[in-house]
Amino acid sequence: MRRRVLVAMSGGVDSSVAAAMVREQGYDVVGVAMRLAPEPSAPIAKRRGTCCSHDDFEDARRVAERMDFPFYVIDLRADFAARVVDNFVSEYLGGCTPNPCVMCNREIKFDRLWSRARALAADYVATGHYARIEQGTDGRFHLLRAADDAKDQSYFLFTLGQDELARTIFPLGAMTKTEVRARARALGLATADKPESQEICFVPDGDYASFVERQSKPAQLRPGSVVDSDGRRLAAHSGVHRFTIGQRRGLGVASGERLYVREIRAESGEVVAGRREELDSPGLIANRISLVDNSIASGRELSVEVKIRYRHRAIPATMRVDSGRRAEIRFASGGPAVTPGQACVFYRGEEVLGGGFIERAITEEQAN
Amino acid sequence: MPIYLDHNAGAPVRAEAAAAVSRLLADMGGNPSSVHRSGQRSRRMLEVARAQVAAIVGAEPRQIVFTSGGTESNNLAIFGAITAASRRRKIISSQIEHSSILAPIAELERRGFDTVRVAPDSDGRVDPGRVLAVLDSETALVTLGLANSEVGTIQDLAPLASMCGEAGALLHIDAAQAVGRIPVDVAALGCDLLALSGHKLGAHSGIGALYVRDFARLAPIVFGGPHESGMRAGTPNLLGAVSFGAAAEAAMDAMALESVRIGSLAASLLARIREAIPGLRLNGPIVGRLPNTLNLTFPGVLGESMLIALDLEGIEVSMGSACAAGAVEPSHVLRAMGRSVADARSSLRISLGWNNTAQEIEAVAALIPEVWRRVATAEPLSEASAR
Repeated sequence: MRRRVLVAMSGGVDSSVAAAMVREQGYDVVGVAMRLAPEPSAPIAKRRGTCCSHDDFEDARRVAERMDFPFYVIDLRADFAARVVDNFVSEYLGGCTPNPCVMCNREIKFDRLWSRARALAADYVATGHYARIEQGTDGRFHLLRAADDAKDQSYFLFTLGQDELARTIFPLGAMTKTEVRARARALGLATADKPESQEICFVPDGDYASFVERQSKPAQLRPGSVVDSDGRRLAAHSGVHRFTIGQRRGLGVASGERLYVREIRAESGEVVAGRREELDSPGLIANRISLVDNSIASGRELSVEVKIRYRHRAIPATMRVDSGRRAEIRFASGGPAVTPGQACVFYRGEEVLGGGFIERAITEEQAN
Repeated sequence: MPIYLDHNAGAPVRAEAAAAVSRLLADMGGNPSSVHRSGQRSRRMLEVARAQVAAIVGAEPRQIVFTSGGTESNNLAIFGAITAASRRRKIISSQIEHSSILAPIAELERRGFDTVRVAPDSDGRVDPGRVLAVLDSETALVTLGLANSEVGTIQDLAPLASMCGEAGALLHIDAAQAVGRIPVDVAALGCDLLALSGHKLGAHSGIGALYVRDFARLAPIVFGGPHESGMRAGTPNLLGAVSFGAAAEAAMDAMALESVRIGSLAASLLARIREAIPGLRLNGPIVGRLPNTLNLTFPGVLGESMLIALDLEGIEVSMGSACAAGAVEPSHVLRAMGRSVADARSSLRISLGWNNTAQEIEAVAALIPEVWRRVATAEPLSEASAR
């Protein structure tokens, strides 16, 4: 019997080509588009009867028709709201800078969607992520960076373990974006020349602060002061959710020198501003550590490269995971600004070893 | 071949309707309103169809207005009656009606009319007493469905006719789901207006009809030529009407046997699934229901997931108010009957029809419990899903 693959389709070119490729490889393909956003984005909301007129889903449906496999839109709005959006809001309110794409992969695509896949008797889930999965001669699975370095999305996938990797297919891992578009055109897919999607799908205007305010009660917001490194008050602000580490704009401080957000103290509402060189830290503490292969013994110090924001380069570091699934990471030299809430992903060359969520930076004093 | 169990959404076209349409396709031409002989021939065919449709509800052919379907029939009934009764500003309906009733009522509400939506009981029955309680001399129209599309509950509407008559209000019955499945007689119901749908009983989609007892009490909503007794302008849909007429005649001829046969298939299907799925619940009454409709709450699963899993196994059912783009709202009918959001989300509608066979039902009775077990194990209801 043909193996069944559930393909997550967004209506974009990547997942369209991913679906077409597994179809060509002879799998029994079932396409699904996930309805996630709690509210339709503004231009759609203005239309009447929005629920059956979502253009992206129609693009995905056309691909399914062209490639001749069944396609369904599934309603995961409640799960997305509870597991991704609420987390996004509470992280910002707590002075952190969340990465909802990591959460969405962990909670929705590789948990919720996987349950659905089993319910639909699927053997695999495929997505349009740019990352590779390889199986070693010992049978263990390895998660690797994509061939296209500019598109590599392995950072968002560190939560996958052996069980997930064994049942996941990333058809685009070895391709470049240019190749994917060419493939889409060759297949006659309507989505071939669609523009790239935004990074955070549920905040299409990119105004995270306003989104957090809409989703919160006024009492949950933490207004306070912008202070300098010595605790001197420089300005007032309307909530810590308006800031992220390294931010320069919006501090409301008229100062001769350029100031950046250095630390966010949600409890007191203090946003600490400092000079560029004050941002750096020697390392960080991460929690909720997940390892691609648990055979990496805990307690042992490992030499790795860490990536602490999606668009950052991975830098050499040492890490030690304790039994509580926390890790201490020390940068080999001159560490960058550490942003609590972001994912911290461990690489060794091409391979993803695992990752976690940044709890806090280690300060110089603690390092000594 | 998939097993089609979604007749309440639309029945497969009956052979009689397909044959009548293909005869007509070979010999097309002539506007039924034209004077020449091609026109006369078309007119004759249209009138034969009208008589066939009239017969299935015991109406006079001249009381039948062809429309584009059940939705237009309901719109014509509601807006037409409100316009004709210019002084009266109140309209009474129920909470479990089809969207083609509820949406016009919402629109009237927006325009400042006084609207009342009576609640049903837990079996989906609308108590005529509750209608009487709000019926008054301000009421222009009472509009209720005869058989509910989602749960199949059949309403006892006969007592309403005299009440409405005394109050001077019109009684409109949406019989789209009932006609062709159970005997429907406009005289016995005593209604003023009654909506019919072609594709629910095996005609092609795109044709419906409205029974109008007294044309003086209805105003048109589409203006143009003097077609359909001046009640529905536009060149008649002859193909649709011929399909509707043939399907109505076939449905009426077959009804006595078909309803017994389908009823026993549905009953045996229910018995078999019930035995295999502990906690399965039938929504709607035990008696006083359409024989073909089973609305079932499957414990511990999302209906959406069951629906897709069954489709992949070749069994086609539906969620009451499913939406193709995946924003599946919990059924307003089940909610009005007092079911929780979670129960509504766990419910599916299985609706049988003229072309289902005992072998099909045998296969479905074996597959549904198997699929339910798989879905319940793989994807138990999460907290979030029930929000």
